[in-house]
Amino acid sequence: MFAPALRRAVFETTTRVPTTTTSILPPAFLLPFSHRAPITTVSHSLETGNVAEPLLHSGQHISSGLKEAIASRPTSQTASSTTPSPAFTSVPYGQQSLQVRTITPQIRQLLPLLRAQSAHYITVHIHGRPYLLTQGDTLRLPFLMKDVQPGDILRLNRATHIGSRDYTLKAPATVKGTRDSPKQVFYLDERLFVCRATVVGTELEPERVKEKTKRRQRHVRHVRSQHRYTVLKISQVEVRSLEEYDELVMKEQGRKGKARRNADASEELAEVAA
Amino acid sequence: MTWFRITLTRSGIGMPAKVQGVLKALGLRKRMTTVYQPVTPSVAGQIMRIKELVDVKEVDQPLTKEQIRAARKPDPGYYVERRNAGNRARMYE
Repeated sequence: MFAPALRRAVFETTTRVPTTTTSILPPAFLLPFSHRAPITTVSHSLETGNVAEPLLHSGQHISSGLKEAIASRPTSQTASSTTPSPAFTSVPYGQQSLQVRTITPQIRQLLPLLRAQSAHYITVHIHGRPYLLTQGDTLRLPFLMKDVQPGDILRLNRATHIGSRDYTLKAPATVKGTRDSPKQVFYLDERLFVCRATVVGTELEPERVKEKTKRRQRHVRHVRSQHRYTVLKISQVEVRSLEEYDELVMKEQGRKGKARRNADASEELAEVAA
Repeated sequence: MTWFRITLTRSGIGMPAKVQGVLKALGLRKRMTTVYQPVTPSVAGQIMRIKELVDVKEVDQPLTKEQIRAARKPDPGYYVERRNAGNRARMYE
């Protein structure tokens, strides 16, 4: 009886929804949920400050350091100064490898805690591919490293994550490239960690047999191939202490200063000679 | 001197033979290839014939194929710290 009217009412409300919400609701920054779940690019799952209290207390010992860290809620970090690797900037779909060369006060505060919790994992990138590793792992690379011999010690110096049970140091997220700006891949400062791998040898895969056929012919050709892969053993994964890091930074600055002074001196000499 | 940086974004498959000939003349073989051509009236005319298929930008410096490849390559992520430590130790024994 009054079904059409009801239907009309329903439809009217549904159609009116978009307009009414905009007029009734206050601006976005005044909404109640804005301060509860701020929109950030930082992963909520990996920040220690965002871990819910009951989860942290689930039958697990919490160090005083972690409690401190939770008390002083960490804010999102920013990549302030970076050193670009030599690359052509105007190449379409090029790639740039960058390292965050400064550490924030927050990292300075939490790095000793990360270092103290032993058994670290690290995500190293070899030829742009990530490998999640811990000390003692055997890594069979999906390719043959041509320039190494068994027994060589490699230094893995491009990492995006290094972490322990409770802490993770992350590099900023990768920025996608366009036809005018290159892709920017951010890595951790290589002075913050030491990761060494020993070349164990090469591994020979089982022979592959590929059947090659031609149309309207009963003959089947068999193509055989067998690839070799380099095997690495991760001999060391370590986070450097703040003192070691500062020493390295000082050394580098000293070297730069010396080089500049030498350049100045040679210029002066040239002027004198002229 | 300035250069056109031309990238083939749409394939030339199914186009008339004349259009495919222009692509070949510019050195665009398959999708996403990039070539650098000098800014001249003839090249501009060629681009006009295939303007629906390409992305064009004017740049100051042309790059070779090798340079483009090198810029797209990621860092190796490792270096050899010590060569063949075991073998050398055995040599001294």
